[in-house]
Amino acid sequence: MNMEYLWQGFGVALTMQNLLIGLAGCFIGTLVGALPAIGPINGIALLLPIAYSMGLPPESTMILLAAIYCGAEYGGRISSILLNVPGDAGAVMTALDGYPMARQGRAGEALTLSGLASFAGGMIGATGLALFAPVLAGLAIGFGPAEYFVLMVFAFATLGSMVGSNPVKTLIGCVLGLMLATVGLDATSGAYRFTFDEPELSDGIEFVVLVIGLFSISEALLILEHQGRGVTVIRKLGRMMVRMSDVTKSTGTALRSACIGFVVGVLPGTGASVSSAIAYTTAKRISDTEGTFGKGDVRGLAAPEASNNATACGAFVPMLTLGVPGSGTTAVMLGALMLYNIQPGPMLLTERPEIVGGLVASLFVGNFLLLLLNLPLVNIFARILTVPNWLLVPGILVLSIIGVYSTHASVFSIFLMLGIGFVGWLLRKAGFDMAPIILGFVLGRVMEVNLRNALAISGGDPSILFESDISRILWGLAVLVAVFPLVLSWRARRRNVRMTAE
Amino acid sequence: MFETENIPHKTIGRIAAIVFIALAVAYGIGGSAIDYSFASDPLGPRVFPVALSVVLGVLGVLYLIRPGTSEGFPSGRLLLRVLAVPAVLVVCVALFEPAGFAISIFLLTLAVAMLFGAPLKWAVAGGIGHAILWWFVFDWLLEVYLPVGLIFG
Repeated sequence: MNMEYLWQGFGVALTMQNLLIGLAGCFIGTLVGALPAIGPINGIALLLPIAYSMGLPPESTMILLAAIYCGAEYGGRISSILLNVPGDAGAVMTALDGYPMARQGRAGEALTLSGLASFAGGMIGATGLALFAPVLAGLAIGFGPAEYFVLMVFAFATLGSMVGSNPVKTLIGCVLGLMLATVGLDATSGAYRFTFDEPELSDGIEFVVLVIGLFSISEALLILEHQGRGVTVIRKLGRMMVRMSDVTKSTGTALRSACIGFVVGVLPGTGASVSSAIAYTTAKRISDTEGTFGKGDVRGLAAPEASNNATACGAFVPMLTLGVPGSGTTAVMLGALMLYNIQPGPMLLTERPEIVGGLVASLFVGNFLLLLLNLPLVNIFARILTVPNWLLVPGILVLSIIGVYSTHASVFSIFLMLGIGFVGWLLRKAGFDMAPIILGFVLGRVMEVNLRNALAISGGDPSILFESDISRILWGLAVLVAVFPLVLSWRARRRNVRMTAE
Repeated sequence: MFETENIPHKTIGRIAAIVFIALAVAYGIGGSAIDYSFASDPLGPRVFPVALSVVLGVLGVLYLIRPGTSEGFPSGRLLLRVLAVPAVLVVCVALFEPAGFAISIFLLTLAVAMLFGAPLKWAVAGGIGHAILWWFVFDWLLEVYLPVGLIFG
């Protein structure tokens, strides 16, 4: 196995500039994760245009964004434990055992232990990524346009069956994203599509405009709406040192959860919220012999934290090797690469090893930085939780406006962002997730181009989509992931009927 | 059971489903009317959009049949306050280039802080703080171009 890219990557990640950028990213990420109002996607969406307009090279931007992503997975636990409000989607499960521990006066211990679990998860995830990425990239080098198209179909099938409670809504989100991606000039035929004769739309909807609108603007409206739902901050942290017995007790759980998290992360489209739920329920099923889960069991705390950090790393695998993001946040990072005119795919590793290697190496470095930041400085982050919304939300809005303006210097883009944000709010109120829209948007052009190239090769004969073994396997997998949950829910329903009948 | 919200949740789903079906139809018509002078590939620029519109239409019908639940909209004064935020944003963004960064950001942060229930005094202080902080960070520290405005410019 060729690991040379990784050594080259350490060379990139350990330069002074990139170390400082990584440290800044870790700090911002922890902050963004800790604040219940903003999650990793918002953090990345807000900082991406700034990094871009500062003229950072692509590998530094990737290091910054990856550090924010991983930092947010660390930071999410702080508000889960102290507020019982998850700081980001991956930390929902952390509150189940973390908050009860904090109520028992063991907040400090819970923070330290979950920090260690995050570190274990992050390191295992990064190792998995480093080993697995070259293998998958090697496999994918044989992919032609037809295989790529089927791969996208598979990605949407996994997304539909694993993300969100309602597959129809998730898939509608994907289609909306695909539709938004068709706006603008069609490169193959020179036709303008859905531009309504507006010159500013001829290059299509800008990625930054869409992401910031969907996430930050709609989030601001939701925060206002949910304001006043009472929360109490636990201020007494208690002692920070963990008991050795707790560490040994939760080691097995953390390692297993990290592996679960990594695998879920690798699956296209499924992020930390799915993996931490699976990790928690698995840990509960295996270890909860005394019924202590949900009442402050250290294993219930370690499981979701180890898993969501491993997921963040695993999600980079399909993004870096196939160009298909493994989560909503990596979808945004994929869009960031596209801003630099870099098309991620199996060739990225050989053509731009400094980007892939630098990112992977920065994850190892970043986990150490995050552990160092998160153990002694947790007090500072805990205090930031008390920043009032009337100060925080206007800041988010200002950053959104500057972010869009800095990449395009046009007021039209800002208005477009506001419109998209408002529609995003309406969609969220109707129970739609925003991540599928971003995934659809990021994959839209690639999907269409590959379909058209495939059919151009075959002269319009659609059987090319089923010709190779790889495409047939991918079609099979797509059908399998689409049907599997239906079978599960059908069985569950039948069992319920039988139980009520008895 | 009584509905606590002003619109029943299933109705929201049904309205959304109808909007999606309408969007699918409009997008499909728009897609099939795309002009192009030459086709370098057998599929051309129309087929993919039209296929998407069919998929959205089918999904829209499935959604209409089983609208499921949704969070629901707020009502009364809270709804007005939430809707006031985009209104404030539109006004301040319109002012962004003519009045300049400082004035429009001051007004924006002031108004939004008040919508979040901050007392006037704090909201003014917050607005001044935001305007100075972000100008300092972006214009001075990161050298990102921001409009100065006609008054200062």
